[in-house]
Amino acid sequence: MKKLTLAAIAVCFALGGTAARAEDAGALLDLLVKKKLITDQEAEEVRGELIKESAETSAGKWKLSTPITELELYGDVRLRYNYDGGRTKSRGPTAAPGVGVAGADDWQERSRERYRLRLGLRGTLMDDWFFGLRLETNASPRSTNVTFGGDASPSSPGGGGPFAKGDDTVYVGQAYAGYKGFPDFTFTGGRMPNPLVTTLMVWDPDINPEGLAEQWKHTFTFNIGGGGGEAVQGYSKYSKEGKGVVAAQSEPFKLKLDLFANFGQFVYNGNINTNPLGTRPTVSASAGDATGQTGQEIPHYDAFLLAWQVGGRLTFPNNVYFQVAPVVYNYTGDGNVFNIHYQGGSPYVTNSASVAQNQTGINSLLVLEVPMEVGWKIGELPMRIFSDFATNFEADDRASAAGQSGQGSQRFAYTAGLGIGQLKEKGDWQIDIWYQHAEQFSLDPNLIDDDIFNAQLNMHGIAVRAAYNLSSAVNLTLTYAHGWQYNGNLGTGGVGQAATGINPLAQFNWFTADLNVKF
Amino acid sequence: MKLKHLAILIALAFGVTEANADRLVIKGSDTLGAKLVPQLAEQFKAQHPGTTFDIAAEGSTTGIAAIIDGTAEIGMSSRRAKSSEVGAAAAKGKHMKPTIVAFDGIAVIVNSANPIKGLTKKQVEQIFTGDVTDWSAVGGSGGKISVYTRNTSSGTYSDFKELAMKKRDYASGSQKMAGNEQIAAEVGKNPNGVGYVGMAYTKAGGIKAMPIDGAVPSTKSVQAHTYPYWRPTFYYTNGDPSGLAKEFVDFTVGSGGQRIVAQVGFVPIK
Repeated sequence: MKKLTLAAIAVCFALGGTAARAEDAGALLDLLVKKKLITDQEAEEVRGELIKESAETSAGKWKLSTPITELELYGDVRLRYNYDGGRTKSRGPTAAPGVGVAGADDWQERSRERYRLRLGLRGTLMDDWFFGLRLETNASPRSTNVTFGGDASPSSPGGGGPFAKGDDTVYVGQAYAGYKGFPDFTFTGGRMPNPLVTTLMVWDPDINPEGLAEQWKHTFTFNIGGGGGEAVQGYSKYSKEGKGVVAAQSEPFKLKLDLFANFGQFVYNGNINTNPLGTRPTVSASAGDATGQTGQEIPHYDAFLLAWQVGGRLTFPNNVYFQVAPVVYNYTGDGNVFNIHYQGGSPYVTNSASVAQNQTGINSLLVLEVPMEVGWKIGELPMRIFSDFATNFEADDRASAAGQSGQGSQRFAYTAGLGIGQLKEKGDWQIDIWYQHAEQFSLDPNLIDDDIFNAQLNMHGIAVRAAYNLSSAVNLTLTYAHGWQYNGNLGTGGVGQAATGINPLAQFNWFTADLNVKF
Repeated sequence: MKLKHLAILIALAFGVTEANADRLVIKGSDTLGAKLVPQLAEQFKAQHPGTTFDIAAEGSTTGIAAIIDGTAEIGMSSRRAKSSEVGAAAAKGKHMKPTIVAFDGIAVIVNSANPIKGLTKKQVEQIFTGDVTDWSAVGGSGGKISVYTRNTSSGTYSDFKELAMKKRDYASGSQKMAGNEQIAAEVGKNPNGVGYVGMAYTKAGGIKAMPIDGAVPSTKSVQAHTYPYWRPTFYYTNGDPSGLAKEFVDFTVGSGGQRIVAQVGFVPIK
């Protein structure tokens, strides 16, 4: 009996005093039996007690299917105050002011109180498979926000009224599975977290692309120095005479090189009848007259976005690193939704006519993006410079198709900024400030972030974000952005969620105050 | 007259109680219940005249369920009770008390005509999960492998999954059999057959037990826990056994019972 008590104490001690991990006790009990400290029967009694206690705990009542080897529940809740304001131009053929009709120098402003919920489950399965599922509020690909009181109208689902639930709907944001059975490789299929290294300038972080992704990453580590050699010179201490004669540290420093490649084949526009009944449908006059596409056959094949990225991250001692990850995007076609040529608006038609031009076409886009980041520490303070550069090699064609021949030079987008601090533990803070510039024919307007400059191109400006960790799981984040039209002869293409109905967008202001709770 | 009826009723009631006291209901594992427990019961009856046994060997799951439901005094099991079963018992105010009655080795058997001399643990996993479907892939002379397993209520079925298959599913084409004897018989008839049985069933004709990573299922290797597919077998009771059940449990783990354990082909606990 004494031995049995000893065994139970040993097992409980090893398991941190909880019975929730009773199944882990097997190896320890087997060892005690092997050492003849207890008998098989005594081990069995201890095991039975632990299983009984475990079964009666909350955790013990959860049952997972056998193939699951690890499961993680995670997510976040965000409360947001959101101000956005957009201004029409002071010159040009804007319409005469009226109710809901933009005039010159007309501001549209809005304040919203919003929330978002993201609830995820991800895990690993036997034989190197994995899966993930995340539920999110809001059907938009570029937003997970729900506006309080936004569904009060009687026309809202459920009939509206105060505190209606018409827009408090949960959607499948991510649903993917993958395989990691080959060293350094990850294969993923489904609706997945963006596998690319990128920035807000090119991809809205809320977008979860659908399709296939293949990733490869390999780490090379170099030991440099170690009691002598060139690489150690930097560690040498100086004598009073200032000469590097004092013996170097014998500890070698390590240089780490991560090389990676990410490839994506994303279904951009699917569910198309490849062999429709009757004759092929054609572009209607209302949709195609402005771009000369009236009567053209509408594409009858799915459109795919293909991404090709290779990159590297070089990490030096003391958290100094440099990362670059060029990526090329091309499209296999326009599909039947994005086939009308992009125009992006014009300052030479009334504001409403400008908005009505095509803002989503994906014709003539072959984009190279080069995100880069350099990081270092001053004392214990992490700092980094980040940047991104993109150019559309087919901007001339895109501009011509938009009726803007000669504007093909509007092919570049770039951003650069400075980040100080890093959010990890309670009390940590972080500030990022950056400049962003995106020309009219440079990027896919359907993918760019919809917060900073309202998902519109031909805009440039500054943004600043400051965050403070109230705890390791809760932070307060303030973001402000101010942007303005870049090229006065072009519209500001794209469909934003704020400042709706304004194109060109002469100025745009954005402010959010977020309370983020992560779990 | 009424008094007489009452006396008869009381006598009947006592008579029934007396009869129940000499009757032991045991349900569960086919591994234990097909051979070992009936022989233990016969010996016990010889020492305890008037005792009767009601033994139903339909799989370990049924034995554990019988303890939870209170329809048996002893539940035979060739596997440990699952946490879900222990939880269900606790919810009904029952305490699943395990008593190890014997050790067993789950032997992987092939037809005696099969030229294979032994298997590795990896090969066993591949065969039973269907990763490998031809004997030539594991050193045999060729031929489509026929996998025989126990049915899902069997403790051996789940024990083998855990011990030998990393909890993976059985091959989709595997054939589920009701008991050890049926598996031994089928493998004995089929030159391409492979299955698993408790050690007590390896003496059947036409089959041979495979060494696993060089370890042969034997009394020595199982007692030393060096044979990879060794396992304890259990009686489960609701708390500490009492009355006739206690006497039978004590008899089973005692020297007389353990002699029978060895005779039947199981491995004694000491």
